[in-house]
Amino acid sequence: MIPTLAIARDLLREARARRWTVALLAGVTLLLLLAAFGLKLEVVDGALAASRFLGRSVHGDIRAADVALRPLFEAVAYLVFYGGTLLGVVACADFAPALLAPGRIEHLLALPVRRSELVLGTFLGVELLVFAGALYGGLGLTLIVAAKTGVVGFAPALAALLGAVAFSGVYAVMVAVTMAVRSAALSAVAGAVIWVLGIVAGNRAALAPLFEPGLARTVFLLLTAPLPRLSALALHAPRLANGLPLEGRELAIQAGGTALFAAAALALALAAFERKDF
Amino acid sequence: MTPAPRRRARRHLALAAVLLAAAALLMSVGAREPTRTEKPDVEFPVRMRAEEQKRMERRATLALPAPRGESAPAPAPAPEPALRDPFLVGLPVEEGEPVVVFEANALRHSRLGELFVACVLARDPDTFAEVERAIGVDPLKDIDRVAFVGGAMVVSGFFDRLKPSVLDAEGRPAAYGEAGRLWIPDPRGGTVPDPGRPAIALWKDQLLVVSDDPDALRRSIDQLEGRAPVPDAGIPDDMAYGEVYGAIPGEAARRLFGRDERGLGERLAAVASRIELHVDAQSDLAAVVRVRGDDAEGLSDLGKSIGAALAVARVQAQATDDTRFADLLESARVQDRGGALAIELAVPAERLESWFRDCGPARARR
Repeated sequence: MIPTLAIARDLLREARARRWTVALLAGVTLLLLLAAFGLKLEVVDGALAASRFLGRSVHGDIRAADVALRPLFEAVAYLVFYGGTLLGVVACADFAPALLAPGRIEHLLALPVRRSELVLGTFLGVELLVFAGALYGGLGLTLIVAAKTGVVGFAPALAALLGAVAFSGVYAVMVAVTMAVRSAALSAVAGAVIWVLGIVAGNRAALAPLFEPGLARTVFLLLTAPLPRLSALALHAPRLANGLPLEGRELAIQAGGTALFAAAALALALAAFERKDF
Repeated sequence: MTPAPRRRARRHLALAAVLLAAAALLMSVGAREPTRTEKPDVEFPVRMRAEEQKRMERRATLALPAPRGESAPAPAPAPEPALRDPFLVGLPVEEGEPVVVFEANALRHSRLGELFVACVLARDPDTFAEVERAIGVDPLKDIDRVAFVGGAMVVSGFFDRLKPSVLDAEGRPAAYGEAGRLWIPDPRGGTVPDPGRPAIALWKDQLLVVSDDPDALRRSIDQLEGRAPVPDAGIPDDMAYGEVYGAIPGEAARRLFGRDERGLGERLAAVASRIELHVDAQSDLAAVVRVRGDDAEGLSDLGKSIGAALAVARVQAQATDDTRFADLLESARVQDRGGALAIELAVPAERLESWFRDCGPARARR
């Protein structure tokens, strides 16, 4: 386990040195600063009486601040989940290909590290990176709103956590594709395809009737059955934002299924990695 | 590739297949209805709906003659008088008095009414039957509307089956106007009203007016028969929407607030000229309180105070586990429309049903 963590730590160090990561961090920080200085919220005894963004009134009703801020937390939850996972696909596409770079992989394999530990370490490092990035944006905005209104919304933090869970399924496929063909571009395309298919899979019950009953619908349902339900996972944080109780059973099934799918993709990645000679 | 890595690769492939099947099984078999992310929107009674418009037109049956004044000039050939709703015309409202109307029949058939009636019948199945046996009128079918006007109560419905003994117990009947009858209690058998017992008026077996003040009864019938003008402080026909509606003069609003909120009541009375109320209970329970006044700035400040009071009340309700009040206040909001405030309160239907969960058929079954 220790070598796995050491590889994850090395990956995080490598990420810190990359311009991509720094640019994304700067972009999120800029958005947070904009919210911190541009958003004016007038709270009177727990009621949001007025709100302005960059001098323009954006909210006319006077109502309990936590209720009035629900749409904001809902929007941030969606942004953190979908934005975090999509940026993760783009920003992390070349970590696994870099691991297999000629010269580096031979060096790593010469160390007392198993191939499975290399794959798991890379996966874990990227997961931590995406989770930390999503948490930074979501929790950052939560803290800014809390400082201005006293209202703490946990939905963005939950969205960051669920985004990391969803991204595990996406990134595991990206690793598996990289182990077959070492290409950052192909890895990103694979991630984007799984991201879209995950959204489709989350809506498969609604989409299935679009197919003719019989073979077409059965094939659609079979193909989408093992895919992570990204769009369904994305809904739990907005539920929390809107004051609805968490659906624990659904959440556990969707998160568990995504974890199983990620594990399956990582097992495929390992199978491909084991077959390679360096 | 040596045999060992090949074996490991095969093992990993087999593991991947098993995991993929497990993922498919878990997510397909365990899946339920799609998760809902938003609480259902509540429709607030902000204007008359199509069915209420039709109801208003159906109720406009009274051709109201112009009040006859002593020095009125000779009337020019007048156009056909506009038909009005006799119930609203007959409200004996005086300046400064609140008026609140309950659409009893519509309320009975609303979600709230169904739950309430089921709850009452579960406790005592004979409740309404006993009332009908006693007075001859079925409260669930024969009563259409009930209004509270100052100290008077006006009820519309079908009173042709009302037992004469009920009315005669209040006094001797006396005809009044063209279609009115009065029962004014007089302990000495004369015409001096007994202040301890209410007087009753019945107009055309359609309208029943009950009040301690016999003048209010006469005024009501005079308004209906054109001998007195319909007061401006009443409810115009186009304001009769929702299951409950009414108008409260700003000054009268002071009395609505308890000792703890007296300051808010004083401020409301100071800036509000008229407060209108509309409650919709067809599915969700949604209420709009519209505060009108001339002091736009004062109203705006008042809106913030009311918003804050509602937010504080909600926190207190949550802290004391008063879930019903907390539910009601969750959707509460104040809209400042420059010269008018709209205070909105709502309870979604599903919440409403949870309030009655321990009552009605469910309880009866237990």
